[in-house]
Amino acid sequence: MITVDRLTVSYGAFTAVDDVSFVAQPGRVTGFLGPNGAGKSTTMRVMVGLTPPTSGQVTIGGLRYHDIPNPGRHVGTLLDASAQHVGRTGREILAIAAQTMGLPKTRVDEMLALVGLSDNEAGRRLRNYSLGMKQRLGIAHALLGDPSVLILDEPANGLDPAGIRWMRGLLKGYADRGGTVLLSSHLLHEVEQIADEMILIGHGRIVAQGDRATLLAGASGTPTTLVTSLDNTALGAALTHAGHAVEAAGAGLKVQASPEQVGRAALTAGVVLTDLRSGGAGLEDLFLELTSSTQRDALPNGVPA
Amino acid sequence: MSDLAAPQLTLDVSSTPRVPFGRLVLVEWRKMLDTRAGRWLLGITAGLLALLSAVIMLVVALADISPPTANDWLNIMTIPVSMLVPVMAITIVTQEWSQRTAMVTFALEASRLRVVLAKLLAVMALGAATIVLALVLGLVGNVIGAGIAGVDAEWNVTASVFVWALATQVLYLLMGFGFGLLLLSSPAALALYYVYVWILEGGVLLPGIMYVLYFTMDWAQSILPWISMRLAMLPYQLSDADARSFESDLGFSFDTGALGLARVLTSVFIWVGLPLILGTWRLLRAEVK
Repeated sequence: MITVDRLTVSYGAFTAVDDVSFVAQPGRVTGFLGPNGAGKSTTMRVMVGLTPPTSGQVTIGGLRYHDIPNPGRHVGTLLDASAQHVGRTGREILAIAAQTMGLPKTRVDEMLALVGLSDNEAGRRLRNYSLGMKQRLGIAHALLGDPSVLILDEPANGLDPAGIRWMRGLLKGYADRGGTVLLSSHLLHEVEQIADEMILIGHGRIVAQGDRATLLAGASGTPTTLVTSLDNTALGAALTHAGHAVEAAGAGLKVQASPEQVGRAALTAGVVLTDLRSGGAGLEDLFLELTSSTQRDALPNGVPA
Repeated sequence: MSDLAAPQLTLDVSSTPRVPFGRLVLVEWRKMLDTRAGRWLLGITAGLLALLSAVIMLVVALADISPPTANDWLNIMTIPVSMLVPVMAITIVTQEWSQRTAMVTFALEASRLRVVLAKLLAVMALGAATIVLALVLGLVGNVIGAGIAGVDAEWNVTASVFVWALATQVLYLLMGFGFGLLLLSSPAALALYYVYVWILEGGVLLPGIMYVLYFTMDWAQSILPWISMRLAMLPYQLSDADARSFESDLGFSFDTGALGLARVLTSVFIWVGLPLILGTWRLLRAEVK
């Protein structure tokens, strides 16, 4: 379990992390989401004692990182896959960590096999690694000591789609066996599918947290539904009659109502639906909305995609 | 994760003692030798020492000159040592920052002071091995050089001179280590080291600015021994005959008593003590990115 308690990190007048509190529970994957520069990496560096906090504290399993003996055996970290000596081979990088932690050499081969790095690849120097290979090595490095807590900063960065799916399965299984997983990302869709819990951070502050349903429920406003049918005109009339605002959207309609309400209206009107989905206030909209004040790029109008 | 049948809210750290210090030293030793850069540096050091002794013997053999004495050998062979060993002492620290491996190193051993001490011990072991190699080559060179010239080898190194020569090498290594900690940048620390050792100080064979000033300017004789380690140690390293001739011919006074010792300690504190203290303080507080 990772407990972040009123953590603040300031650099002079700039506050990178502003009074952040959250808990990453064991047995769950916690996604740490925010745009670039939101304070995710800084928070994670504080967790492992690399950045001193200005105030507040972080404990892992009730202990400050500094007080965990042989910390690699308890907390696996991947903070930056490129932060390794470019002149060392992948195998040597793992071997050094294994030696530090007092692990048998066989553990290195096990981890290389687990993350899918071949003998040939493991024998190459890091400067010849692609970003995806570095990420795999970094994940192997984090898992080496068989830790119960994982802290991964942007682990999916540079992985190909198959790699991302592989990592999802790996982390999910890890949490299912009781491990605590905290992973950060600036891409919602990377995290949405595996995170049981999400922490949304923007401008150093937590803007929302909870599981997917809680977050969506917290999104204000009437639900929006996108619907396409064989007779949009008749369906539109029925919906308007039922008191829902309707507007044309592409080949279908955009309705200020829940999918259930639209479905019932279609049933009553006897119109065949060809597409029905929740259209507004999705997680992505919420994410962008909540962190918009910190976005570098202004949002275009009519966002929903 | 066999112990993770049920979610645990607290870490059970009872079965994981902290990383033994000896293991940290072995890991740091390994990290000095497991890259091409590290192996090249060692290879160059060993190669340079072997080459130097070979060249000197060749010169003795070809030119009809008297062979170098043990003291000469000591002066010559310590030059490559003082050029290259401190480079290892500097890079063992600064490399962690230039390659950004400090993130991993300090994540696996959160006590940065233990890491610093492990690095120091590892690089001192390497320095000791290099010095032993240099001494052996010098020893062998002295015997063979004398044999080539057909004279008896001259063993004119006193215990005092020998100890001070070793102390100088150890201090240079510590100085490099301190500069590395203080500046956390290879180029900056290397530049500072070389400027001090080769441009400001120099030695008997290649005098530097302070060395020259000391022997040419009256005001420098009382001030510079407080600042320059080499000049502070000079009274202890001169042979009695040299010291007497300097004193009678040039009016120098060499103090090997309390004043001399105070000079040695002051100059060592300035160039070795302060960088080590300030550098360690910086490293312990630095944010690792």
